[in-house]
Amino acid sequence: MGVSSLLFKRRIVFLLLFTLIGLLVLWVRLFYVQIIQGDWLLLKAEDLWSRDVPFEAKRGRILDRNGVVLVDNESTPSILAVPVQIEDVKQTVHLLAPVLNMAPGKLERLITKRELIVRIHPEGRKMDEEKAEAVRALALPGIYVAEDYRRFYPYGTLAAHVLGFTGVDNQGLTGLELSYDDDLKGKRGAVSFYADARGRKMPDQPSRFIPPIDGDDLVTTLDVNIQMILEREMEDAWSTYQPKSIIGVVMDPRNGEVLAMASYPTYDPAHYQDYSQEVYNRNQPIWRMYEPGSTFKIITLATALKENKVDLYNEHFFDPGYIMVAGAKIRCWKPGGHGDQTFLQVVENSCNPGFVELGQRIGKEKLMASIRDFGFGQKTGIDLKGEATGLLFRDERMGPVELATTAFGQGVSVTPIQQVAAVSAAINGGAYFTPHLGKSIVDPKNGERKELFTAMPKRQVIDENVSEQVRKALEAVVANGTGYRAYVDGFRVGGKTGTAQKVGPDGRYLSNEYIVSFIGFAPADDPKIVVYLAVDHPQGIQFGGVVAAPIVGRIIEETMHYLKVPPREDGLPKTKYIYPERPPEVVPDLVGKTIDDIRRMYYALPLDVVGEGRIVIDQSPKPGSKIETGQAVRIYLGP
Amino acid sequence: MGLDTGAEGLQRLPIYRGRSGLKKKPFDIILFFAVVMLLAIGLVMVLSASAVIAEHDFGDTFYYVKRQAIFAVLGIALMIMASEIDYWLYREHVRVIFLSALLSLMIVLIPGIGVIRGGARSWIGIGAFSIQPAEFAKLALIVTLAVYLERHHERLGSFWRGLFPPLLLGVFFFALIMLQPDLGTGTVLLGTTVFMTFVAGARLLHLFLLGGVGLVAFAGLVAAAPYRLQRILAYLDPWQDPLGAGYQTIQSLYAIGPGGLFGLGLGMSRQKYQYLPEPYNDFIFAITAEELGLIGATFVLLLFGVIIWRGYLIALYAPDHFARLTAVGITSMILIQVLINVGVVIGLLPVTGITLPLMSAGGSSLLIILYGLGVLLNISRYQERI
Repeated sequence: MGVSSLLFKRRIVFLLLFTLIGLLVLWVRLFYVQIIQGDWLLLKAEDLWSRDVPFEAKRGRILDRNGVVLVDNESTPSILAVPVQIEDVKQTVHLLAPVLNMAPGKLERLITKRELIVRIHPEGRKMDEEKAEAVRALALPGIYVAEDYRRFYPYGTLAAHVLGFTGVDNQGLTGLELSYDDDLKGKRGAVSFYADARGRKMPDQPSRFIPPIDGDDLVTTLDVNIQMILEREMEDAWSTYQPKSIIGVVMDPRNGEVLAMASYPTYDPAHYQDYSQEVYNRNQPIWRMYEPGSTFKIITLATALKENKVDLYNEHFFDPGYIMVAGAKIRCWKPGGHGDQTFLQVVENSCNPGFVELGQRIGKEKLMASIRDFGFGQKTGIDLKGEATGLLFRDERMGPVELATTAFGQGVSVTPIQQVAAVSAAINGGAYFTPHLGKSIVDPKNGERKELFTAMPKRQVIDENVSEQVRKALEAVVANGTGYRAYVDGFRVGGKTGTAQKVGPDGRYLSNEYIVSFIGFAPADDPKIVVYLAVDHPQGIQFGGVVAAPIVGRIIEETMHYLKVPPREDGLPKTKYIYPERPPEVVPDLVGKTIDDIRRMYYALPLDVVGEGRIVIDQSPKPGSKIETGQAVRIYLGP
Repeated sequence: MGLDTGAEGLQRLPIYRGRSGLKKKPFDIILFFAVVMLLAIGLVMVLSASAVIAEHDFGDTFYYVKRQAIFAVLGIALMIMASEIDYWLYREHVRVIFLSALLSLMIVLIPGIGVIRGGARSWIGIGAFSIQPAEFAKLALIVTLAVYLERHHERLGSFWRGLFPPLLLGVFFFALIMLQPDLGTGTVLLGTTVFMTFVAGARLLHLFLLGGVGLVAFAGLVAAAPYRLQRILAYLDPWQDPLGAGYQTIQSLYAIGPGGLFGLGLGMSRQKYQYLPEPYNDFIFAITAEELGLIGATFVLLLFGVIIWRGYLIALYAPDHFARLTAVGITSMILIQVLINVGVVIGLLPVTGITLPLMSAGGSSLLIILYGLGVLLNISRYQERI
């Protein structure tokens, strides 16, 4: 062999070397991918292969403060179809459709969808156990019966707005179900299997079960017994007055725990779809805004006492039936006025000019600051979604007239829960608590408890001694004044009536549209509950004071008994009448008054209405004559 | 001295034109067994990789493996037959071989005759009997180049008179194949041409310069077809576009990575469940690595190493220049295909569409490779040293 042969050989040896290096490079890369990157690639690839058949978690229950279950679950399995795993569509439809009571065409369309997992909605969702068992018995490939739950409400419609309801995927949609959804919902589990790229189960591969994590229970501040008392009374009022709506709240003023809350018209959360959205979406105690009317006078009163602007017992005020403010005549609800009275009587009589005087003494800055201190004009922060803020006059737009009307509760817009929270602060010693419904979150497995709210007040609004004066004055309102129909023997009820004309969408007052309300508390020496009740547009014609006060009185009485509050003996005696003998009352002059006027009056006399029209053209007995309390005054209406 | 001495010192080698003076020995048994083993492993892997898809597409689990088995048996027969055909006959009939390759490469481009599969007009014929002219062209080009380089090896020191004509021939074939278009086969063809001229004694300087020109040309080709650019970008970072250009690379890595050291076990591949497109074809090595692990994949690489080692060894001891260059061509063709195919599968190279010799399912390509190996075996029978 010569030189040339040597060259060939060198070059071939070089190629052999090149081959060695090339294969080595491949091998090193292979080693890197399989050994170094292997686990990482496996994790990523598992995402690709894994298909999950969801396994619903059990949603947490909602309990009342004593552990009574308000919202529970019942097992309602759902069907899932995995279309690519269905071997015989015709046979599947043939067997399954009758069990589900479903149109075969619709079922076929669903199970031939080009989707990984199809829910048979609604026929195959949240079924009863027998149906689910029947489907299981068919053992159709690609048809799975998956665990699922439906909310169950042992008390039906009770506290429906507060509790709220869940959607078809067990997600909280309203009420506490929504605001505590994260705690209640738990974590969905799955049966996970490997599928090929078309979604069919890979053979010979293990399935994994990822167990669901059940949701935590929510213990609320509600008391099912008090809630039932409240709603029974509301139900009664609903049939008596056939109003547009009724709002009721019972709260513990000492810590802001809502004991009961209801909104009428109500609905059945298990079938919320059967009701209009206006019904189930509006929890009026927190959502509704309106003029509070006279109940707002409590705030003016508390502010005047706090600022030392009035001596309730020794100072006198003369009410001629109106008061002039910046050239405008603001009338008292009582024609002719209350005449000479102490300021305590101003409160008892709910005398508008008297409160205008108080408002003027306080001045607009201090009054508005105090109103804000009492929580108006901002959300209370209650643990429900959809709370309204309310509306106050802005300071710079507030003239003498606005100051005057604000002092007796007109021209401001507030929510019921704001009033409850504010009055609670006014009578509990001056501490403002955030109203709330959630008490604690409990892990059902180990009983681990997480408290949701501290017992600390948000702020101190007035002093204890001021608060005590407010309590006494409001007790006098019930014992001697316009709130006397809420009187409960032995339980020292304090409270205040309110009547407010509704404001239309255009900002004008609506004629004949009133919200009559009462806010009461008991016992006055150590308040344990605050009760607010408002009736929106009661049917029939009556004085505003007769509607809400007696309902609140009954709620307080029953609740006091239920809570086993010992009766008091040192309360103010009822002076309006002493059962069974009632002192005769002087018949007011109603001729010439409109129905609107009458509704705004706080007389507690029943009316016997004759004829139709807007104005009283005659009455019997004549004004000034005396009748027994409880005896009706007949009025004749004319155009 | 050294590799860069060029062709000046070349001495004319004997050219055998007949059987005279040559003693026929048994063919290279190591090469033969390595080939048969790879074929066997390939059959098993084709079965495992294709069963799911075959069942789904044809209702017959064994659809692909049956074809593959038939072609493998035919191929082995062809290889043994080729080992009996004396290699110099190709030299004698080089004109026929060259012209028929050229003709078939042109015919396949005619719509109506050439059949489009996988985006390229690469096939002639009907159904199972269709062939890819490009596969045949690879062997034809090797023989043609071997004849030219043997005849004119003393001119190789000159660029224009020596190196340029064979390169032009390679580029011309490459261009014809790129009209289909089939970048993979084209690249193998061009690579083989370069390897052969290198061994034949081309100046390294020339080859380096050509390499530069080739890079520029390659860049031009890539720029001309956007899908090629996408493939290259996907190769640089497949995770950028996991559902688009990076899809195949990622799916391949999803097969190989979880395979680990020992693999998931034969038949246990997950990626063959329609995740990896045509797992029994270009990506058969991925399924092998998935089911048999690093150990199985290493064994396959070793078998290819053996084939290439034996191939170059046969070239080293070939009786004449034509035999040597033919052996280098066939071995290099296999080497380049293995490097590119495995490189693609393990994410080292952009996706090009080259089958893994002896393992990927395929009819005509398998027959051609085995025929080529048969030629190699025939040359081994005339080795000057064992």
